[in-house]
Amino acid sequence: MSAINVFQQNPGAEAKAQTPLHHADLASLVGKGRNNAGVTLREKKLLGHLTLRGDGHDPAFASGVHKALGLELPVALTVVAKGETSLQWVGPDEWLLIVPGGQEFAVEQQLRNALAGLHIQVVNVSGGQTLLELQGANVRDVLMKSTSYDVHPNNFPVGKAVGTVFAKSQLVIRRTGEDTWELVIRRSFADYWWMWLQDASAEYGLSIEA
Amino acid sequence: MSQSYRLASGGRVNRGKVLNFSFNGKTYQGYEGDSLAAALLANGVDVVGRSFKYSRPRGIIAAGTEEPNAILQIGSSEATQIPNVRATQQPLYAGLVATSTNGWPNVNNDVMGILGKVGGSMMPPGFYYKTFMYPKSFWMTYEKYIRKAAGLGRAPLQNDPDSYDYMNHHCDVLIVGAGPAGLAAALAAGRSGARVIIADEQEEFGGSLLDSRETLDGKPATDWVAATVAELQGMAEVLVLPRATVNGYHDHNFLTIHERLTDHLGDRAPIGQVRHRVHRVRAKQVVLAAGAHERPLVYGNNDVPGNMLAGAVSTYVRRYGVAPGRKLVLSTNNDHAYRVALDWHDAGLQVVAIADARHNPRGSLVEEARAKGIRILTSSAVVEAAGSKHVTGARVAAIDAQAFTVTSPGETLACDLIATSGGYSPIVHLASHLGGRPVWREDILGFVPGDAPQKRVCVGGMNGVYPLGDVLADGFEGGVRAATEAGFKAVVGTLPKAVQRTEEPTLALFQVPHDKGTRGPKQFVDQQNDVTAAGIELATREGFESVEHVKRYTALGFGTDQGKLGNINGLAIAARSLGISIAQMGTTMFRPNYTPVTFGAVAGRHCGHLFEPVRFTALHSWHVKNGAEFEDVGQWKRPWYFPKPGEDIHAAVERECKAVRDSVGLLDASTLGKIDIQGPDAREFLNRIYTNAWTKLDVGKARYGLMCKEDGMVFDDGVTACVGDNHFIMTTTTGGAARVLGWMELYLQTEWPELKVYFTSVTDHWATMTLSGPNSRKLLAEISDIDLDKDAFPFMTWKEGTVGGVPARVFRISFTGELSYEVNVQANYAMGVLEKIVAAGKQYNLTPYGTETMHVLRAEKGFIIVGQDTDGSMNADDLNMSWCVGRNKPYSWIGLRGMNREDCLREDRKQLVGLKPINPKQWLPEGAQLVFDPKQPIPMDMVGHVTSSYASNSLGYSFAMGVVKGGLKRMGERVYSPQADGSVIEAEIVSSVFFDPKGERQNV
Repeated sequence: MSAINVFQQNPGAEAKAQTPLHHADLASLVGKGRNNAGVTLREKKLLGHLTLRGDGHDPAFASGVHKALGLELPVALTVVAKGETSLQWVGPDEWLLIVPGGQEFAVEQQLRNALAGLHIQVVNVSGGQTLLELQGANVRDVLMKSTSYDVHPNNFPVGKAVGTVFAKSQLVIRRTGEDTWELVIRRSFADYWWMWLQDASAEYGLSIEA
Repeated sequence: MSQSYRLASGGRVNRGKVLNFSFNGKTYQGYEGDSLAAALLANGVDVVGRSFKYSRPRGIIAAGTEEPNAILQIGSSEATQIPNVRATQQPLYAGLVATSTNGWPNVNNDVMGILGKVGGSMMPPGFYYKTFMYPKSFWMTYEKYIRKAAGLGRAPLQNDPDSYDYMNHHCDVLIVGAGPAGLAAALAAGRSGARVIIADEQEEFGGSLLDSRETLDGKPATDWVAATVAELQGMAEVLVLPRATVNGYHDHNFLTIHERLTDHLGDRAPIGQVRHRVHRVRAKQVVLAAGAHERPLVYGNNDVPGNMLAGAVSTYVRRYGVAPGRKLVLSTNNDHAYRVALDWHDAGLQVVAIADARHNPRGSLVEEARAKGIRILTSSAVVEAAGSKHVTGARVAAIDAQAFTVTSPGETLACDLIATSGGYSPIVHLASHLGGRPVWREDILGFVPGDAPQKRVCVGGMNGVYPLGDVLADGFEGGVRAATEAGFKAVVGTLPKAVQRTEEPTLALFQVPHDKGTRGPKQFVDQQNDVTAAGIELATREGFESVEHVKRYTALGFGTDQGKLGNINGLAIAARSLGISIAQMGTTMFRPNYTPVTFGAVAGRHCGHLFEPVRFTALHSWHVKNGAEFEDVGQWKRPWYFPKPGEDIHAAVERECKAVRDSVGLLDASTLGKIDIQGPDAREFLNRIYTNAWTKLDVGKARYGLMCKEDGMVFDDGVTACVGDNHFIMTTTTGGAARVLGWMELYLQTEWPELKVYFTSVTDHWATMTLSGPNSRKLLAEISDIDLDKDAFPFMTWKEGTVGGVPARVFRISFTGELSYEVNVQANYAMGVLEKIVAAGKQYNLTPYGTETMHVLRAEKGFIIVGQDTDGSMNADDLNMSWCVGRNKPYSWIGLRGMNREDCLREDRKQLVGLKPINPKQWLPEGAQLVFDPKQPIPMDMVGHVTSSYASNSLGYSFAMGVVKGGLKRMGERVYSPQADGSVIEAEIVSSVFFDPKGERQNV
């Protein structure tokens, strides 16, 4: 065996899969919210999530990442995207790579090939987290109820991403458009976030998209 | 007769909308726009409560936060009860139900009043300290009496139906107060483009301008208020918050605002609306424009209903169209208070006289009053009010303020309202929350905010600036300064012109002298706490000289009042008694919150189902469907046991245990912490963080490890598998997962940054299903492509393959002592795999089991649970786990030094052993203390305690683990556990491995 165990963990699209919010049965809620809801929620399901660790100051690392992904290594507190692939700065030596579901194994191999010889870590975390997209005029209000981080456009332009306190736990907030935000949430906390977001958006109206 | 004290016209109330409300069971009417206090006064309700100590009837004094008496209980149903609401700050709504909070059985005929007359002299200041302190055991009895007597409201007995929340803000400039200074500041800051929040506690913006005679640019001041508010509301970056009290000024310019969103609509918020919202504001700059409170003069019987603050009378007349009397006497030491006489006169009511303590007042307002023919008595003051339940007259006498004497017998003027003004006290509360002590200014006779390191400016009345034109200019300039400091370019603006007046200085008069001194009629300083001038004098005579001591001895400024109305007068009286200046006396410490905050607002949404995050595994819905009872493990919900119909926990656990020992059981082990470790130095890192050695662990193998803190005490454990030469998967305890990862990062980043290794949590990524029992191999073989042969896949190794068609890592490790496989799959696919396992398991009686069965089975094997069998004071030797310590590892590791301290090497330390009750039916309670000699006298010499105890079907007797002093060398000896009922449980010290000591069952 090699030094690192890289393991195809995805059984393929035919296998039975349940996202962290499976129990909420979001599909059954589509169209049931208020008209002109201030907040629209959608789970971006079953994507490939990879944690990437390495030395961001090492040009070899940055160019290796670029070679493998076609993306520049994002600077602190930002997320860059190309098509369905996004790469987010998480910490001084940590990035979150999200790729279309099922590609995580191939992308990990590409990364490892491009970064061969460097001290890095790539970890498939696809089962441990999911992405919620919030859209609408009142998303910022919902965020303000939930986090002490400043989500005003002056401080939180499109393309920014932060890991921060949210209600009584932590998650990642990414702003992907004028009124579009993403939350990266951990699987085991998914129900808490789902309940919290329903509650916080109640006064503005919440609608669900599949 | 309805609203007999309502003026025919005037006020900002909506006379077209009549609102019914009730007070102490009687129905009244008021108008939309009234405060509850205004509506009560309009109806001639003069007694709103009884005083706390003397049970004297009390009426409304003020019109705002400083009101000490009209503290009411509000709520039309049990669930919506709110105690201690100031009637002056409660907007009237249809159907409002209010009652007095003190005055039992009712405020007009109070049995306590009779006691009060006696009790008053029995209860001098310091009474509680002197009397109720001893004997200490009686405190509970006293407390009931005091609470009953004091009667400060009551909490609802039902759940609050309303919703409360928080909102976080970051702004460039937060402006506290929307009077003239605050509004001007907001204009300046808002026009600069800065992010501005302006909050005011009142129902509408304008502050003093809402009831002011003043004009701005020749028009009523309220026109300017309306135009300014409209401009502010039109600015995208300005947040306008009325009904919002800035209650706390905390470190780093963090301020809390308590907004009452629906209290003006009813005692329940409309469906879907939040009742109160706490705005948590991080402000770059703060402009404090809190204004000033008028302070009353202290004179005899100044608490009889019908004694009011001069400014409050103006507020009721001009803002609410209510005259709280017919015949007014004003007692003042300043010019500004003359406006109440003018307002009263303009309303067509009789001003009997103005008593001005000054010799020869000649200010503009004074002359205006003179010109209207109002009688002005100079060098005079109201020395005593006449009347018991309401003012019937005012004795006005000539006084010498300097000599503190009454110089004429005076005359009693018939009146039903005494308005009083002793000057103005800047509201320094917020400016002082962080400790900056206010500074006395003799020129304005008030404390102003002292210097403070916070990024804040104080403007307007709060800064001792009173003339309206100056207030506007000061506010605007403060707004410019704050915006500039926050990095914005302020725009030049013009301010409206106020009328210039000659205003003469205020006379330093706080307590009005009385012929009989303080032995005369009671002269109240703090009406909420029944503190009199005599009480403060007594306190100083008894040696309480510090302002903080005087406060605590007399209760001055306690309760909801927090020194708003009486503080400065109290300080002045104490200073006079001690013969020092007010500046030397200083103020007490001001602390958040400025006004009381409801518990609902404090809790926000962190209540009910949102109280605390609850974590679920990917298999949770299956557990629910299969009838699991759940146990909280940290934030996780773990299946505790799976009862079948009719089973209790004992029956269910017995069945589950038997299934695992006889055939095969299934456990959801997903909650165990899992950390993916990669890097060329991963192995070395493990050597240093664990007590045992990892250098020789081959790829494909797994090993149990103990983790210690520097003190050598065990703090976590788990199995770590080598999945690649530079790649390990560590497991931790469920509760320790985050702690262990943080611990490892701490050591990597601070102590061993040279090690090339990375850690990433994969706890939520992998779902883990444990198959345990002699049939687990056969079951797994049916749904897996992995070679499960005992030689191909031995104990303490792992393999990769598919289980139920899903890629899996399977670990052959065991926490039950049985042949076990831990199946790990990507969590999104876990439910599908579980269903296949369950289907294949039918023929083997596959039995789901929970944490309780897991505990029994592991205890039978003597496996510890960190946190249950350990408590942070046990090292590996204490746990009889020296086998898990690599003392000869080449590089030092965490805990090595600690566990070799002299005390850790003692042979009589408490050591973990098995405990076998002599009577197999007896069960040792967990936590029970152990002794060697149960006959010794109490207190006995305790030698240990029980850590885990279970009934065991496999063993046929109950058994326990526990720690016993020197226990490892006492095998076969007896220990005793005396019980609370006097019985004694006797047990034999045995090995902690009760079941299959050679491990033959797990290694097959």
